[in-house]
Amino acid sequence: MAGDQRVGKVPVTNLDRILYPSPGVSKKEVIEYYIRSAPRILPFLSGRALVLQRFPDGAGGQGFYEKDAPPGTPDWVTLFPHVSRTAGREIRYVVCDSPDTLIWLANLAALELNIVLARTDDPETPDMMLFDLDPEPPAGFPEAVETAQALRELLAELGLSPFVKTSGRKGLHVVIPLDRSYRFDETRTFVHAVGILLSGRLPVVVSELSGTHTPGTVFVDYLQNAAWKTMIAPYSLRATGQATVSMPLSWEEVRKGVMPEDFTIRTAISRTGDPWKGFFDQAERLPEVNNE
Amino acid sequence: MSEEEQESGPVPHRAFWTGSISIGLVNVPVRLMVMVREHAVSFRLLHRKDGQPIQYRRVCTRDNREVPWEDIVKGYEVRDGEYIMIEREELEAVRPESDRRIRIDRFINVLEVEPVYYDRTYLLVPDKSPDAYALLMEAFRRKGRAGIGRITLRTREYPALVREYQDALILITLHYPDEVTDPAAVEELSTIPEPGKKELALAERIIDDLTGELDLSGYHDTYKERIEELIQKKMKGETVHVEKPKAAEARELMSALEETLAQLKESR
Repeated sequence: MAGDQRVGKVPVTNLDRILYPSPGVSKKEVIEYYIRSAPRILPFLSGRALVLQRFPDGAGGQGFYEKDAPPGTPDWVTLFPHVSRTAGREIRYVVCDSPDTLIWLANLAALELNIVLARTDDPETPDMMLFDLDPEPPAGFPEAVETAQALRELLAELGLSPFVKTSGRKGLHVVIPLDRSYRFDETRTFVHAVGILLSGRLPVVVSELSGTHTPGTVFVDYLQNAAWKTMIAPYSLRATGQATVSMPLSWEEVRKGVMPEDFTIRTAISRTGDPWKGFFDQAERLPEVNNE
Repeated sequence: MSEEEQESGPVPHRAFWTGSISIGLVNVPVRLMVMVREHAVSFRLLHRKDGQPIQYRRVCTRDNREVPWEDIVKGYEVRDGEYIMIEREELEAVRPESDRRIRIDRFINVLEVEPVYYDRTYLLVPDKSPDAYALLMEAFRRKGRAGIGRITLRTREYPALVREYQDALILITLHYPDEVTDPAAVEELSTIPEPGKKELALAERIIDDLTGELDLSGYHDTYKERIEELIQKKMKGETVHVEKPKAAEARELMSALEETLAQLKESR
């Protein structure tokens, strides 16, 4: 039986199943990607509840979200039980804190790894803050790039140094590591306020949810700054046709001409350096924002 | 396997049949050689405990006693568990007589014979009279035709096709029509739907995209190659651990994991 194969202690199956048909990426390649990315991705996964998005029929197939650890989860996988008020029951979140767990997840075709913005020891207190820049067609990645640069300037004026990554789909994520002394309603309000300021400077920016479907705009989504809401993890694969990666970038790379499709499972490995290295060592405090 | 063998196929067998191609009153003396030899690695069965070869014995199902060849006779099962015995002499009497002739009945277009009818292919080599052989071969080539006729090999008479192939004559024994399944008789095939226009156009495009020249040289019997490799290793006294299929892939992942673990350890 195929189940007899193991990588270390992790049983793996159907390694030659193609998960991305057009570039012809097999499950083996996906597992290898996550193994090789482990040193970069694990700092963002460990100590944090994970929401899986699994694609057993490949990126083109219908994926499904999975908050609860799936049946058959090995006993060596760290779980974080949490009684969810909305679900009305206990959810056992997977916590990925080792290369073994990464391999196990990749073998489940959990292509997309989504992280909450707080740690398991204090799930109501964010340790990062997310500006999710989401362009609405005909606006696209170039508009998201323009917005990100303007946002960076604005945040610099407020004394903050943000990190940036592609979402792996059409937008950009601007993220700030936070000192854990704020509540989610504070970070949400802060991101919203910055969005309003930004929309005053850059006509393409929309700061309100009601404006998100206005064609040709970029919405600064603040709503993900909430307990148990998630963000695609840096270096996670996306279930896109090109096998894109949510790729951390240096600000120099965020410029005209760059495209999400430049960063795929095949190109990611050869990137040198890690623009998000030492992310959590640079935790910031929130400045006061005058929202006039 | 020697290099040469890989280049030009298996070393030819010796001729096992001598006779002649007869076309009307003309005879072309030929010998027949096996042309296709499937490569397979053959094994003997051994007793694991002491490595001794296992032997088959013909035993009577009533008392499990071994039965000598002279007491064995062929039986034809008429009904379940009920046989009629047929003696060797009786079979000999009805056996088609091999008159050592390949009788050609007519000449046809080579492409007329559906490849599904092909049974086995033999190489014909000239016996004593190369002129007649060369003449027939050249005539076949020029006309693009092949001879269709009959041959008796051992105990069977076969329809046979004689044609030119790469400056030689070959003989292909053919199946009888009633040995080949008629697709129309298969129920599942009588109900297959007409494909949609769009789907068909897409399928045609895929075929066009992948259309190319036939080249079989890229196909290898990788199973046989791996078995030979295994035998070589064993002969050198290396222990061969039993590997699950696709183990190579898991091994590659394992070495990636080892590298990563080393990297993680270093940065700690």
